[in-house]
Amino acid sequence: MPRKISLFVPCFVDQLQPEVAVDTVKVLRRLGCEVDFPEDQSCCGQPAFNSGFWDEARPCAERFLRVFKDAETIVCPSGSCTTMVRVFYPELVSSALHDEAVAVGKRTFELSEFLVKVMGVTDVGATFPHSVTYHASCHGLRELKLKNEPLQLLRGVKGLKLVDMLRFDECCGFGGTFATKFESISVAMGESKADSIAVTGAEYVTAIDPSCLMHVQGIMGHRKDRAKAIHLASILASEA
Amino acid sequence: MAANNPSREAILARIRAGLRTPMPPLEAKTFTDPIFEPVGDPLERFQQECKANLMEMNLTSDFDGSARVLAQVLASFPAGEIFLQDDPILRRLLESSGAMRETRWSSQGGPREISQATVTLAEALVAQTGSIFVTSACGGRGATVVAPVHIVYATTSQLVPDLVTALRNATHEGKLENNSYGCMISGSSRTADIEKILVQGAHGPIRLVVILEKNS
Amino acid sequence: MSTSTHNPVPAGDQPMAQTAAQKFLRDAATKSADLVHREIIRKNMESYDAAHMRGRGRFKNWEAARRKCQEIKREAIENLDKYLLQFEEKVTARGGHVFWAANSDEACTYIKDLALSRGVKTIVKSKSMVTEEMHLTPVLEEVGIRVWETDLGEYIVQLRNEPPYHIVTPAMHLNRQQIRDLFREKLGEDVPDADPQKLVALARRKLREAFFAAEMGISGANFLVADIGAVAITTNEGNGRLSTSLPRIHVAVTGIEKVIPRLEDLGTFWPVLATSGTGQPITTYSTLVAGPRKPGEADGPEEFHVVLLDNGRSGLLANAEEREVLTCIRCGACLNICPVYKNVGGHTYNTTYPGPIGSVLTPHLRGGEFEHLSYASSLCGACTSVCPVNINLHHHLLHNRRDFTKAGKDKAGRMQFRMWQKAMLNPRLFAFGGWMMRSSLRLLYRLGLAGTALDPMRAWTRKRTRVPLPETSFRARWKKELGRDQSGSK
Repeated sequence: MPRKISLFVPCFVDQLQPEVAVDTVKVLRRLGCEVDFPEDQSCCGQPAFNSGFWDEARPCAERFLRVFKDAETIVCPSGSCTTMVRVFYPELVSSALHDEAVAVGKRTFELSEFLVKVMGVTDVGATFPHSVTYHASCHGLRELKLKNEPLQLLRGVKGLKLVDMLRFDECCGFGGTFATKFESISVAMGESKADSIAVTGAEYVTAIDPSCLMHVQGIMGHRKDRAKAIHLASILASEA
Repeated sequence: MAANNPSREAILARIRAGLRTPMPPLEAKTFTDPIFEPVGDPLERFQQECKANLMEMNLTSDFDGSARVLAQVLASFPAGEIFLQDDPILRRLLESSGAMRETRWSSQGGPREISQATVTLAEALVAQTGSIFVTSACGGRGATVVAPVHIVYATTSQLVPDLVTALRNATHEGKLENNSYGCMISGSSRTADIEKILVQGAHGPIRLVVILEKNS
Repeated sequence: MSTSTHNPVPAGDQPMAQTAAQKFLRDAATKSADLVHREIIRKNMESYDAAHMRGRGRFKNWEAARRKCQEIKREAIENLDKYLLQFEEKVTARGGHVFWAANSDEACTYIKDLALSRGVKTIVKSKSMVTEEMHLTPVLEEVGIRVWETDLGEYIVQLRNEPPYHIVTPAMHLNRQQIRDLFREKLGEDVPDADPQKLVALARRKLREAFFAAEMGISGANFLVADIGAVAITTNEGNGRLSTSLPRIHVAVTGIEKVIPRLEDLGTFWPVLATSGTGQPITTYSTLVAGPRKPGEADGPEEFHVVLLDNGRSGLLANAEEREVLTCIRCGACLNICPVYKNVGGHTYNTTYPGPIGSVLTPHLRGGEFEHLSYASSLCGACTSVCPVNINLHHHLLHNRRDFTKAGKDKAGRMQFRMWQKAMLNPRLFAFGGWMMRSSLRLLYRLGLAGTALDPMRAWTRKRTRVPLPETSFRARWKKELGRDQSGSK
């Protein structure tokens, strides 16, 4: 019986980086999963929540629980959005929905987490003959405790040369609205990250969070750095 | 002065009121490994840690050996007054060393700024961290910090494996009840306040010398 | 509180009076762009990181150590009155005095009156962040008392007439040449090669006179030990020992939250504090002061006073969700790992406690003026991952943000998010809104207006290439093609 996956697509991926979701679908289908996209979904509520507007975020969270009520397994190509559901929904939603939030959280996985921990695969049949360095996005690392899973997947990609980055676990500086409200700090942090990437000489930097990559790509593009940002899903979707 | 302290009751009342709601409980957690690797041979460990702490460790086999080392150490820095904890053992040790120096004893008061060195006993030695535990019984407070050289005379029977043991002992023996002051010394004075570069000899002793005599 | 906290006004449009939030943004912008500063701090922190990792390697089970420290501190804070009273009883029985100060004014007045009544002309101080919080030194200097900071880093920033940059390494932002120049100017002595060893020797010589002349020594307290009634003070330099041994009066100043139940608890806290603070196995001098000198002791202060400062802590205590913030042992580890701190530096926070703990704590102790600190974070959580007492620092930042918005202070923000919410609860509106945003931005950029005042994303496009603006959203593609094709073929 093929696994039934309900895709949870972060709102900004849907609008600004759709290829990340397209590639996620590709990878999951290549592994024999049945993928569905509940079209009623919108945003997990993270921007409002992180800004302290919990009353405004709550209806989004409760809506998410309704939209994904019957989903067997929910997969999301973003560590921060997965964190929102699994770690923060129980605290955010009304007490009546607390248990449901916990249950849905248990069924919601970030992509690399799903592939390695649930499906037990590290070789997804991908080919990507380039040098790649890995940035450990904060939510995935510290909230979801994903240390090795993305790296295991990258090591399983044919032709990929994995290069270690110094301070790979230091925040890139995106932080949601922080990126514009505290622009100078966000940019300085991004520049430090871009410096670390440049030192590796890698052609690509990858991560499990599309928002990190969007921010880092912005910095690197502005500086005309050599490296390009690419989401893990897109590497895993690549074929010879 | 503290007799007039109207805020005391107000602060206590606020604390009590605030604590009526307990904190949310912690998730239960078990750990298999202990916090620290148990200390093996205390003497060996103590010597290792002393070395890492940049302390000068001299292991002697008897009293005469200790007196000889004391003589050597006293000859290794400029002439001038030395300050000693007034204890019969140290009086004997100094005499046996044959060293001729101006001396001041703790029975006369604290060490003077001109002291070139101080000599004291210790309450205990802690193997885990290479520490010397002293109290004001070891010649007072200044005795273990004022001079550029601090010499400690101790025996291996004073070794305890770790800090928790040393502190438990100190509690049971009333060390801070019978004395107003204690200090766990783990090296010579140092600072890294300039560019995080370690510099020896800030305000306390530049040299910490241990004469450790093996008990039979 | 104006909306400028949450909708920061670019530097050029500042109104006359500057709020703390606006000042923060300006200073942050200046410091973040200061590459020399960035490099100095980066080097310092790398040094710390290496030492810290070595230090953690000395533990068999670092997580168990953190947990134990967390449990001990929780036990202490949940029974704070009981342990403070036990501490007070023991200290008082030995002839020490304990003074409870509701706020900085009361604490400063007590110490000033004590000093004046005892004819104190010179005071030596070992490091105490609480005395910075109280702004004690100006109060004493105003009445003609000379106050010497004796911790080398504090001594340096005192000579420069600036506040400490970091709670553990106060002069981290200076290099040796700057310190050499400072000593030459203020002490009248030159060290031409700026050798750190010689600079330290010079400071030692100068401060020696102060140690022996001072009538009063003021220290902080790393811990208050309840079962034996003692103040625990840790230093590497020995200045904490000289300040509490030589002068005839010793005053220890501390926040009320510093208490721990038992002396043996220090067997865990001393190594954990040293590891987190500097990477050492234990700080060189871990001192315990139980009272004034006892009859028969060779030396020591005749008087011993402990000033317990509340200054908003009891208020924070009453907030059960935030209470764990009071379990902080002031190790500085969260500052050292924080990428925001590393870029803006300690002074930008413009308050006694910088870094993550400062951002969490300050609004509770000092009120709404410092709310912006809770927002000046990407919530990366590195702070929480290193805190030796397991304080969930970044989650507390979230709670602070929640509580501030609940207080209704950001009306504009609330309106924005209400509108945002409407779009998010209506998928068709969301899809349309997204399409509108992408299309209008594409047009704007095609007209060459990126980065201008008309560009709503200019806080992004100033230093970053613009975000991608695809023609089709994912959901549109799903509807058109992906939804139907269940095969994995190309």
